[in-house]
Amino acid sequence: MMPKLVQPASPAGGVAAPGAASLPPRCGLGLKPEHFRGILETQPNVGFFEIHAENYMVAGGPLHHYLTQIRSHYPLSIHGVGLSIGGEGGLDAAHLDRLAALIDRYAPESFSEHLAWSSHGGVFLDDLLPLPYDRDSLSRVCAHVDQVQTRLGRRMLLENPATYVEFAASTFTEAEFIGEVVARTGCGLLLDVNNAYVSGVNHGRDPWACIEALPLAATGQIHLAGFARDVDAAGDPLLIDTHGAPVSQAVWALYRKVLERVGPMPTLIERDSDIPPLPVLLAEARRAEGLLQAVAGSFKGNAGPPQVSLPPTGGGLGGAWPWGRSGVAP
Amino acid sequence: MSTRHDFARALLDPELPCPAGLVAWNGSNPARRFQVYRNNVLVALVDALASNFVVTHELVGEAFFRAMAAVHVRAHPPRSPVLACYGADFPAFIASFIPAAGLPYLADVARLEYLRAVACHAADVSPVGEGALAAQLADEGGLPGLRFALHPSLAVLPSRFAVVSLWAAHQGVGDLAAVVPDVAETALVLRTGLEVEVIEIPPASGVFIAALQSGRPLGRAAEEATALGAGFDLAATLGLLLQKSAITTLHPSRSTP
Amino acid sequence: MSAITTKSISAASLALAMGAALSLAAAPATAQDRMADKEKCFGVALKGKNDCKAGAGTTCAGTSKVDYQGNAWSLVPKGSCEKTASPSSPTGHGQLAEFKEKKA
Repeated sequence: MMPKLVQPASPAGGVAAPGAASLPPRCGLGLKPEHFRGILETQPNVGFFEIHAENYMVAGGPLHHYLTQIRSHYPLSIHGVGLSIGGEGGLDAAHLDRLAALIDRYAPESFSEHLAWSSHGGVFLDDLLPLPYDRDSLSRVCAHVDQVQTRLGRRMLLENPATYVEFAASTFTEAEFIGEVVARTGCGLLLDVNNAYVSGVNHGRDPWACIEALPLAATGQIHLAGFARDVDAAGDPLLIDTHGAPVSQAVWALYRKVLERVGPMPTLIERDSDIPPLPVLLAEARRAEGLLQAVAGSFKGNAGPPQVSLPPTGGGLGGAWPWGRSGVAP
Repeated sequence: MSTRHDFARALLDPELPCPAGLVAWNGSNPARRFQVYRNNVLVALVDALASNFVVTHELVGEAFFRAMAAVHVRAHPPRSPVLACYGADFPAFIASFIPAAGLPYLADVARLEYLRAVACHAADVSPVGEGALAAQLADEGGLPGLRFALHPSLAVLPSRFAVVSLWAAHQGVGDLAAVVPDVAETALVLRTGLEVEVIEIPPASGVFIAALQSGRPLGRAAEEATALGAGFDLAATLGLLLQKSAITTLHPSRSTP
Repeated sequence: MSAITTKSISAASLALAMGAALSLAAAPATAQDRMADKEKCFGVALKGKNDCKAGAGTTCAGTSKVDYQGNAWSLVPKGSCEKTASPSSPTGHGQLAEFKEKKA
């Protein structure tokens, strides 16, 4: 008694990427159901939309209906929040299959995930949790990134996390750790400037120094968001990555410096709680676009943004893959 | 090896100490920082329940709902990273949650809300053409053995309580104070287009639709509903299913069981 | 339901009902009004449940040992349920206080 007449949400049964195979170097917004209708009615001039993959891992209904329509007008970034790449156990193969199906259906210009874990022992904890930066974690994370890129047949971007604790067992700095993962797997960097700022403040480091130490040449996208303020047990500031406020002045300043270093780059304004009306987010996006345009002007005369220097091709995947891969298999 | 294990366990159990091996740059007690993660996990999962059980939440109020949901989240954390339909066990938990015992209808209201969440995200399937149904009429002898596939969003909830009236009163339909909670109602939940609908149907219609959904042929399903003796209206029930585009496939069969 | 004694319904009466159903479906007003008087269409909350939002500005909700140890078990529902008539079952509102501090 299984239904036979499955009608895809779009007539084509999937949506071809409109034009470019990568996100434009413009500002995009997180796609929120609150804004579905407004986006379709007003067709705002936004560089791209980003969705959280797990929110769309459902069979049908309004989410796919609206995403299909919106995707046909805008470039799309799919951002995973549930793969648990930093997890102790293996990746959830069923979840990776769901992700692959979603990516097949919507053909996004970008796919990214987090340097974090969120599942353990079969339980999903719904938060991006921190991991010790040691050799053990490094080999697991690299194996997981390899597995994801192989299964999806594309390069992924890995996002630097916002963290509240550090581990005594860590033997790498976060930047060194991410640098190793990028070098060994050929993945790109999703540089979350807010996370870098939050983590820098939370761990008593200079945020710009933390950003500079990252493998910036591998940057494929930037995230900007707002945070909340708290204090730790010593009364020192503890910033909470709430995605519930406008981007802070400090993060705008860092963003400008990042753009001067890496050139125009697809940039997302993230807002996941206290979601304001669409025009408020569009105004924040315009501010980012202003910086993007300014930096594009200054990069025009030059050879363009610094070339992403991927490691030489080699290793097990062969030359058919669009991303480089080298180094020691973990 | 056990870093993540200790961390994960302590997230859901505040009686456990802050996991070992955590440090802060200023030498402050990391337990305070670890609390941020405990808070994030619990708030996120309680929020996930709150958005699927809106009327349940309104019925008991913010403080009670969040406290009840927190107990549930700790006892039954999600097993999948996809939270759209998190809370399958929540209605049964509510039924056994002693502080909610004064509201015996609460679990069924939660069941109704969960069916709505599932219906919202169910697969998109086109209804059978009315031409195909009309063609079946030409083959009268085949009707008793005819089986139906119903829309994947469809569910029937028979309740001892006035679940539909209680739910509808929270949508501005009817006066909550006028609802008598312990009057039995049967709810039909399904998605038509993008909207999830909740329709009160006679109990016999519920029996009929549930029988069709479980694969019994038309003749047998109608007989089960008629056996209730409460004036089952087959034409009206079939008419409703057609009206709501709920019949998706016809499976003709001559062999009635 | 299998235990129910059923009486056979003729193919002819099924055909009659099906024919009537098809015309009912073609003329929405009559069939629907009778069967669906409490129908109301509202979109289910589509709110993304998989989002990267940390609990805004507070570090206490997940941590209170008081909550964990028993606060939830001593609360009394205080929402719209107070507007509903008390069910006639023996466990009405009045008995809630007796469940204080118990654990399931």
